[in-house]
Amino acid sequence: MNYELILSILYFLAGGFLIFLAITIARDNINNRLNRTFGATLFFAGFGPLFMALGLIIDTSTLSVTNFDESVLYNLHYIWEFFFPLLLLFSWIFPEDRLRKFKYSRIRYLIFIPQLMHLVILIFAADFIDFLNSMQIGNNFEGFSSLILKPFSVLINLNSLFISFILTYHTIIFGMFNIFFAVATIYFLESGKKLITNPRILTQTKVINWAARISLGSYISAILGAALFPEIINDTLSSLMILVAIFSGTALLIYATLKYQFLDVRLAFRQSFVYSITSALFVGLYVVLVLQSKEFLVPIFGEQANIINYVIIGLLLLMFQPINNWIDEFTRSFFMHTQTDHRNVIERFSRQVISLFDPLKLRQIIEETLKTTLLVEHIYFVLFDDSLNEYVLYLDRDNSQKIALARDDILLRGINQLDTPTFFQSLGDYLKNSELATELESRDIKIILPMKDSEHLLGFLALTSKAAGYNYSAEDMNLLGVLSNQMVSALTNARLYVDSLERIRLQEEVSMAREIQLNLLPSSPPTHPCMEISAHSTPSRTIGGDFYDFVYKDKKKLGICIADASGKGMPAALMIAQTQAILKSEVNNGTPIDMMLKNMNKQLVESSSSEKYVTLFYGELDTENGYFHYSNAGHNYPLLVKANGDIELLKTGGPIIGALPDMSYQSETVRLQKDDTLFFFTDGLSEAMNEKEEEYTEERIHDFVIKHKLKEPSELINSILKDVRLHDTTYPPRDDTTIVSLKIRNGF
Amino acid sequence: MKLTDREENGVIILEPTGKIMGGPDASLLHDKLYEFIEQDKKKFVVDLSAVDWMNSTGLGILISGYTTLRNNNGQLKLANVTEKIKTLLVITKLDPVFESFDTIADAIQ
Repeated sequence: MNYELILSILYFLAGGFLIFLAITIARDNINNRLNRTFGATLFFAGFGPLFMALGLIIDTSTLSVTNFDESVLYNLHYIWEFFFPLLLLFSWIFPEDRLRKFKYSRIRYLIFIPQLMHLVILIFAADFIDFLNSMQIGNNFEGFSSLILKPFSVLINLNSLFISFILTYHTIIFGMFNIFFAVATIYFLESGKKLITNPRILTQTKVINWAARISLGSYISAILGAALFPEIINDTLSSLMILVAIFSGTALLIYATLKYQFLDVRLAFRQSFVYSITSALFVGLYVVLVLQSKEFLVPIFGEQANIINYVIIGLLLLMFQPINNWIDEFTRSFFMHTQTDHRNVIERFSRQVISLFDPLKLRQIIEETLKTTLLVEHIYFVLFDDSLNEYVLYLDRDNSQKIALARDDILLRGINQLDTPTFFQSLGDYLKNSELATELESRDIKIILPMKDSEHLLGFLALTSKAAGYNYSAEDMNLLGVLSNQMVSALTNARLYVDSLERIRLQEEVSMAREIQLNLLPSSPPTHPCMEISAHSTPSRTIGGDFYDFVYKDKKKLGICIADASGKGMPAALMIAQTQAILKSEVNNGTPIDMMLKNMNKQLVESSSSEKYVTLFYGELDTENGYFHYSNAGHNYPLLVKANGDIELLKTGGPIIGALPDMSYQSETVRLQKDDTLFFFTDGLSEAMNEKEEEYTEERIHDFVIKHKLKEPSELINSILKDVRLHDTTYPPRDDTTIVSLKIRNGF
Repeated sequence: MKLTDREENGVIILEPTGKIMGGPDASLLHDKLYEFIEQDKKKFVVDLSAVDWMNSTGLGILISGYTTLRNNNGQLKLANVTEKIKTLLVITKLDPVFESFDTIADAIQ
């Protein structure tokens, strides 16, 4: 094997690859102009190395009589130069057609003229010069005939000279055109890069631009160098540079196509492409080995060579299948980790979203996945907004621009019936009379991807066309279907998570409120030599609407208050906090009791709706003489149990506080004596209910307190609570339950 | 709680049945009452004969209806107040506020 043979094999392989790639790219999506143009570009590029290989073979062949560069076939090889205008054309339409808006965009096809001329001149010029020469009659014209014929003769001569000039220097003349085209191509590819927003198209373009820079750059240097510095750039160096141009260009193109899915070629295609090429190389290697093995064996083994050769051929054949399998495995593993294998996409996507609970972040991941794997140009989200109770179309990433959609929009109803990704235009009648459809049409939507759980439409994605004019394939639609299922579970998870966060936050707030409420209650009842006081309060929820308080009006007068706000939970607690604040300020002002309640009523009426009110009892005990001066604003009657067992209900006062304006209140005074018991409670105690829905009742409270009138207040409270729990086992109690008990220790 | 309503001589008669407690039950009475108030009805009688029990929320609704109507020159009266609810009205000292009658006819009068 010699240098020329190896070189010609390499040329053949490069040309073969290019033409194979050209045909498959065009066939992969023949409807797309990008595929067609780029296919044609590669097809003509492939002719270059193929003719070079042919030239080498013919030149080295001993059988050939004429030199290759004198044959018609040699002149035909210039057909490969169509590669340059085609590549220029491609640089205009990728990533988007930049001549589309130009009125006479068909003028672009004029760029083929130089190459066409070149070919025509080379094929027909020699014959044409012969024809011109045959027209020369002779130089000795005389008289009138010379007057007419001489200019013709000069013209013919000039023409002949001009064509001869072109023929002599055609490589340089048309090489200049090619160089000009190459520079323009690099310029347009670079400027086109700025229009790209999709990250993967950008990566593809970067590789393609490098391919263009390296291969066109070495081509230009080879041609210009040979023309300007023939001493330095000799024929060998020049052809070496062209070799570099062809191989680097081809290799980078194949790399961009296989690794970054240039022109959106399908995975199946890419796999089969690699498989075909590796198998072809493998089989080729086998054939060479089998054919050549004998040559190597004869000098070593002499006569035995034949037998050894058969053994080696046998071994090679046995190994064929395993090696072929290994190539197959290797081919698959090459694609295993690429972003374009849909199994990888699904696996990676589900891994990313499974632990993601931020809906905004989730949307970003969905968007990135669709942009990088499917090359979708734009993605619009329509999601159900819980707070608005409506479907919302998000126009940008950070939610600042959104449109609420009408519930009865016909397109929305149509999408509700979809289960799989669907082409927007195929929605037919649903697109008429729909505001949503108009909105989506204006954004050039191509695909609707519904996101549906078992019963509800969570929303949908509206996808525009793919970047660089690629089309959606059946493979893409399958992937979209699978991804939409993943999105549904991710969105549901995110929503549940947000809900649970909200619940936790509320719980925290409520327990903080509880803390505040507990701090508002007296930490311990006041102590005084003349009496014993005890108090208890259990809210039905974390926070309650009951309260009690002890306030010294002056050194000898102790204010006692018990109150119950209507309703439960947070609203009742807020009402109570307000009541307590007003009460304290009124007590501090030294307002008489009846006026105090009137003022409290006025303030609460002004600050709350009439549905919210407080029942409140307030009394002041004069610790020096035992007089208890009180007023009851609609509260359950406190009980005074005298030492002798007589009872008195403390009823005097006025209506509940905070409901009706301009209410007035009376007050009353009772005198307490040794061993008298005062018992205050809220309706949580009297209305505690058993399973038969029977209340504990005020009468039973009265009886119980009378029966246990000798007990200390704390003991009395504990025992009545126990008794009530026997009646109503619900705990925490259904309603807030508060008790204050006071016993006079010494007589006055 | 169930609620029926009818109109007699320009007076809206609301007849709740069962318990008027907090939650959806109470809002039913509230919404109905305010629905009529918005229709510019001025005179109401709430028939409490079939009401077993009323808690603070239920009472709040009656008070709120009463106040709203009184501020708009309307009236809300009670009829057939059961013993239990009478006790509630007495304790809260709202018995002088709400006019209550033994029969609906009396209340309409």
